[in-house]
Amino acid sequence: MSDMPILSIILLAPLVAFLITVVLPEAQTQLIKIINAVAGLTTLVLALVVWASYDKDLGGYQMIEDVPWVPDFGIHYTVAVDGISVVLTMLTAIVFLTGVLSMWTLEKRVKEYFAFMGLLVFGVFGVFISLDIFVFFFFYEVAVLPMYPLIAIWGSTRKEYSAMKLTIFLMVGSALLFPGLIALFVESGGHTWNLVALSQAGTFSESTQIFIYPFLYIGFGILAGMWPFHSWSPTGHVAAPTAVSMLHAGVLMKLGAFGILRIAIGVLPLGAAYWAPTFAVLATIGIVYGAFVAMRQTDFKYVIGFSSVSHMGIVLLGLNTLGVDGVNGAVFQMFAHGIMTALFFSAVGFIYDQTHDRDIRHFGGLVGQIPVATSFFILAALCGMGVPGFASFWAELLVFIEAIRVFPVLGMVAIVGLVFTAAYVLRVLGLAIFGPKNSDWDELVEPTPFLSIPRIMLIAVLLFFGFVPSLMVDMISSATHIFSAAGASL
Amino acid sequence: MTLEAYLLLALLLFSMGLYAVLARHNLIAILIGVELMLNAANINFLAFNYFLHLDPAMAQIIVLFVIGLAAAEAAIALAIILKLYRKHQSIDVDAMRELRG
Amino acid sequence: MSHSTLGLICLLAPLTAFFTALVGFRNNHRAAMATVLLSGLASALCALLLLAQHSPQPELVTRSWIHAGGVDIYFGLLLDGKTLIMGAVVAVITLCIQTYSLNYMATDPGRGRFFAFLALFEWAMLCFVYSPSLMQTFVFWELVGLASFFLIGFWYSKPSAVAAAKKAFIMTRIGDVGLFIGLILLFQSTHTLDILRLNATHFETTRIELITLLLFVGIVGKSAQFPLHTWLPDAMEGPTPVSALLHSATMVAAGVFLFARFHNLFMQAELTLTIVLCIATFTAVLSSTMAMVAKDMKRVLAYSSISQLGFMLMGLGAGSLFAGYFHLVTHAVFKALLFLCAGAYIHHYETNDIIAIGRAGGRKLRIVTAGLVIGGAALAGLPPLAGFFSKELIIGSLGHGHPRIFVIGALLASFMTAYYTFRMIFLVTRPNADSEASPDQEAPDHEADDHHAEGSLLPTHAPIVLLTLGAIGLGFLGDSIARLLGQSAHHPALAEMAPAIGVACFGVLLAWLDFGRSAAAQNGFVSRMPAVRRLFEQGWYLDALYKKLFVGLAQAIAGLLFGLENRGFDGGADGIASGTRAAGRTAAKAQTGRLQLYIGTSILLFAAAALYIGLGASR
Repeated sequence: MSDMPILSIILLAPLVAFLITVVLPEAQTQLIKIINAVAGLTTLVLALVVWASYDKDLGGYQMIEDVPWVPDFGIHYTVAVDGISVVLTMLTAIVFLTGVLSMWTLEKRVKEYFAFMGLLVFGVFGVFISLDIFVFFFFYEVAVLPMYPLIAIWGSTRKEYSAMKLTIFLMVGSALLFPGLIALFVESGGHTWNLVALSQAGTFSESTQIFIYPFLYIGFGILAGMWPFHSWSPTGHVAAPTAVSMLHAGVLMKLGAFGILRIAIGVLPLGAAYWAPTFAVLATIGIVYGAFVAMRQTDFKYVIGFSSVSHMGIVLLGLNTLGVDGVNGAVFQMFAHGIMTALFFSAVGFIYDQTHDRDIRHFGGLVGQIPVATSFFILAALCGMGVPGFASFWAELLVFIEAIRVFPVLGMVAIVGLVFTAAYVLRVLGLAIFGPKNSDWDELVEPTPFLSIPRIMLIAVLLFFGFVPSLMVDMISSATHIFSAAGASL
Repeated sequence: MTLEAYLLLALLLFSMGLYAVLARHNLIAILIGVELMLNAANINFLAFNYFLHLDPAMAQIIVLFVIGLAAAEAAIALAIILKLYRKHQSIDVDAMRELRG
Repeated sequence: MSHSTLGLICLLAPLTAFFTALVGFRNNHRAAMATVLLSGLASALCALLLLAQHSPQPELVTRSWIHAGGVDIYFGLLLDGKTLIMGAVVAVITLCIQTYSLNYMATDPGRGRFFAFLALFEWAMLCFVYSPSLMQTFVFWELVGLASFFLIGFWYSKPSAVAAAKKAFIMTRIGDVGLFIGLILLFQSTHTLDILRLNATHFETTRIELITLLLFVGIVGKSAQFPLHTWLPDAMEGPTPVSALLHSATMVAAGVFLFARFHNLFMQAELTLTIVLCIATFTAVLSSTMAMVAKDMKRVLAYSSISQLGFMLMGLGAGSLFAGYFHLVTHAVFKALLFLCAGAYIHHYETNDIIAIGRAGGRKLRIVTAGLVIGGAALAGLPPLAGFFSKELIIGSLGHGHPRIFVIGALLASFMTAYYTFRMIFLVTRPNADSEASPDQEAPDHEADDHHAEGSLLPTHAPIVLLTLGAIGLGFLGDSIARLLGQSAHHPALAEMAPAIGVACFGVLLAWLDFGRSAAAQNGFVSRMPAVRRLFEQGWYLDALYKKLFVGLAQAIAGLLFGLENRGFDGGADGIASGTRAAGRTAAKAQTGRLQLYIGTSILLFAAAALYIGLGASR
C-alpha cells in the first residue's frame, strides 16, 4: 500500500478518463458520464487516503516520486505533497466529482465536453503535486488551455468574447511567468528546477529576488483574480457552463494563489517581504472593490463572479501577511471558497437550466416555489457572508487576525468590507429568493434526490470544516510553520 | 582545374536559378530554378570537399540527401501546381495573390 | 447527572430539533412542532436544574476548537452565576414563547419552519450565554443574528419583512465589525480568549480603552443603542412571538449580557464608561419620546425595549453589575409578557393599532388584559413589581459619583416610560369613541369571537399567566441573584427611592388625565404640539437621514465603481484588444501577396546578414 505511487494514480485518473472518453463513440453519452464520475470518485477516495496517510507531525514533503524526464535540462517528474497540497488535492477531487454530477443532464456534445474537462482536471492535479517548477508550469498550461473551448462551445452570454478575454489575460499572465521561471533556473546556476533545491536560502541574492518576484506574483496573480487584473474572471464565470464555472472559480483560481505561495513566496522569501505591503494594498482594494461592484450587478453569476474577486482578495491578503496564521487562513480560504463557489454555481446552474434566465430582478420569492433548490443557494450565500458554522468563517478569522497584526489599517478596512459583503449577498437574497412570488416561475421543479447529491456533498464539507476547523488548520500548519519567522520579521 | 573555376560555375548556375525564381511567371519555370539552385549548392559541396582534402564520404552523403530532397520536393511541388491549375486554370504566379493582407 | 451532561443536553437538544424539524419533518408540521417543543422543554429543565445545583466555583468544560496565534482556542461550557441565571431565563422564556406559538402560528403554512428557526435561535443564544471563550461568544453572537434574520423575515413574501430582516442584519453587522476587531486586538494583547482569564487580566490604559470601545460598538449594534437603534422597530415585521423572543431574552439581551460578561474589562476603561453612560442615557430618553406617540402596539413596546436596554447599560456603565444584570432579567420577563399580550390582541383583532384594539373591545380578553396591566406596571417601575426593584437600583447606582445629568436623564426617561405605558393601557382598556384619538387602521369588522373560537386557549394563556407571576414575584429574588453573581445587594433607602417613585407616579397620573378619565380627550400633551409629534413619530428623522446619507453613499460608491469596472477595466481591456487588432490590420497592408517579392526580399536580407557576419568574422 505504502509503495503504491498514489499521487501518480490520482494524476492519471482524469487522464485515463480523458483517453477513454476520446476513443468512445459519440453516442455513448451515459457511459461517458459514468466513466468520468468513476474517475472523480477514484480521485476523491485516493485524496482521502492521502489525507489520512499524510504524517502531520513529520510535515514537509511526503510520498515523493522522482523520475528524470529531460535530464540534460535538469527536468524531473517529481511529485510529492505537503499539508497545503493535500488540502488542495482534496478540493480538486471534490469539485471534479461534484462538477461531473452537476452536468449529468448535459446533452450537447457530451464526449468533447468531458474530454476537455478531464484534461483540465489532469492539469490541475499536476500543478498541486509537482515539485519541479518546469513540470509545474507544464501542468499549469495544460489546466488553463481547455478553458477556451469549454467556454466558447458550451457557454452562454457573449461566450466567444469571454473565452477570448479569459485566454488572453491568462496568456499575459503566462508571458510574465515564463521569463520569471527561466530566470529562476538560470540565476540558480542552471542545474535544477527542483522546488526544494531552489527554495534553499542563499540561492538568490536579495536584489535578484526583488527583481523577479513581481513577475511571478503578477503572473500567478492574474489567474488568482488579483485586482486590478481581475476583469477576465467575472466575465469568464458568467459565460462558462455550470461545471466549468465550478472548476474555474473553485479550483483554477486557486492555482494562481497556490503558485504565489509555492513558487513566488516559497522560492523568493526576501522578494516577498519587500513587495508584501504593496500587494497587500492591492488585495485589500480587491476585497472592498469586489463587494461594491457586486452590489450593483443584476446577473446571479456576475454577483458570484465579483464575490470571488472579493474573496480571493482575502486569500491574497492572507498570503501577503507572510505570517503563519495569515497563510493558514489563506489556504483555508482557498479551500472554503472553492467549495462555496462550486456550491453557488451548482445551485444557480440548476435554476438556470430550467429558466434560462439569470437576471435577479426577474425572480422573487423563489424559496416558495422551489425551497430545496434555493436553500442550497441560501446556504452558499451564508457561507459567502462568513457566517460562523461554515468553513469560510474560520478562514477569514485567521487571515484577519494576522492582517491586523501585520497591516493594522488594511486589516480594519478589509473587516469593514464584510459589511458590504453582507449587503450584496442580502440584496440578492431579498430580490430573488425572498420577496413577493413571481408566478412566471410556478412551473419550476425541484431537483431529484440524485441531482441534489453534489450540492449536499458540498454543503456537508462546508459545515464539517465549519464545526471542526482544527482538522483543516492542523493539516495546513504542518506546511506553514516556516512562515512564523518571516511574518514576525516585518 | 582550380577551386575558383568550380565556384564560378556554381555561382553561374545559382544566379540562373535565382533569376528564374524571381522573374519567371510560370510556376514550372520557378520550380526548375529551384532545382538549379540546389545543384549549384551540390557542386559547391563537392568542390570544397575535393580541394580541401576532407573525408569524401561527408560530401557524398550530403549531396545524396539533397538529391533525395529535391526529388521529394519536385513531386510535392508538381502536385501543388496541378491542384493550382485546376483551381485557377493557370499556372501564372501573379494569378495567385491569396496571401495579400 | 453530572453538570456537563446536563449542559450538553441543554445545548444539543435545540440543535437536534432544528435539523430534525427543518430537514426531517419538512412536510409534517405537527411532528416538527412537537420536536421543537420537546427540545425546548428539555433545555428549560436542564437549565433550571443547573441553576438549582449551582456550585460557588465556576465550572469549566472545554475542548480545543482551532489553533491560532500559537494557542488553542476553546469551545465548551462555562457554568458560573452569570451564565446560569441567563441560561435559565433564556430557556424558560423560549419555552413559554414556543408554547404560545402553538396557537399563534396554528394556521400558518410555514409553521414547521417557524418552529425550527425558534429552535435554532434558542440554540445559538444558549451557546452564546454558556460560552467560556470570547471566540465562542462571537460565533454564536453572529448565529443569533442569523437566526433573527430568518425569523424577522419569516413572512418572506412580504417585501417589508424582507427589508426589515436585511436592515437588522446589516446594522448589527456594523456593530459586529467593531466587536470582531476588538476581539482580535484583545487576542493579540493577551494571547487568550478565555473569558475568565481575560476578566482577570490587567491592561495598559490606552489599549483597554480602545478594546472596550470596540466591544461596545458591537453592543450598540446588537442591543439597538443610538445610533444603531433603527433596526429594532422595523424588526416588528416578524411574527409577534419572534418579537417577544427578540426583545426579551435573546438578540438584544446578548449585547447587555456581553457587557456584563466583560464587566471587569470595562471597569478598567474610564473613558469608555463615560461614553457608555452618555449613549445609554441619550438612547433611553430618545426612544421614550418616540414611544409616546406611536399607535402601533408593537412599536410602542419596541421603543420601550430600546430605552430599557439603555437603562441596563446605564446601570452596568455606572459600575453596578448587579443593577444592570438584574434589570436584564426582570425586563426579559415582563417584556416577553407584554409582547405575548400584544400578540394575543393582534391575533384576535387583526390590527396592531392600540386605539382600534380598544374600540373593538380589547378589555374583553380578561387574562390578557390583566397581563398587560401588570406587565405595563412593571415596565413603568411601579412598586412592588419586578421592574421597580431593578430600575430603582440603576437610578441608585447612578447617584453615586456620577454627573447629575445622568440621573436627570434616567428620571426623565422613567417618567416618559410610565406615561407611554399607561397611555397604551388606558387606550386599550378605556376606549372612548368620542375622543380625538383616531386609529391609523380599523379592526376588521366581524364578530371576532366566533372567528377565533377554534382550538384551546391554554397554550396562549398559560405562558401569559406564568410570566405575569414572574413579573410580580421576580423583584423579590434580587438577593439570590446578587449572591449568584457574587455581589452584595444594595438596598436603597426610601428617601433615595422617592424621586424615582415620584416621577413614575406622575407619569401614570398624567396618562390618566390625558387618556384614562372618561372625559379625557385621549390626545396626549405631546400630540397637541404637531411639530414635536411629527418629529417623534418619524423617530427624529434618523431613519431618513441614514437612508439618505449612508445607504445613498454606499450606493453611490457602488455605482461609481460599477462604472469604473465597466468602462475602466473592461473598457480598457477591450480598448487594448481593439487597438491590437487595428495595428494588425495596418501591418497586414505590407503583405502584397506577390510570392516573388517575398522571396526576393528574404534573399536580400539573407545576403545582407551573411555579408555582415562574414565581414565581422574576417575583421
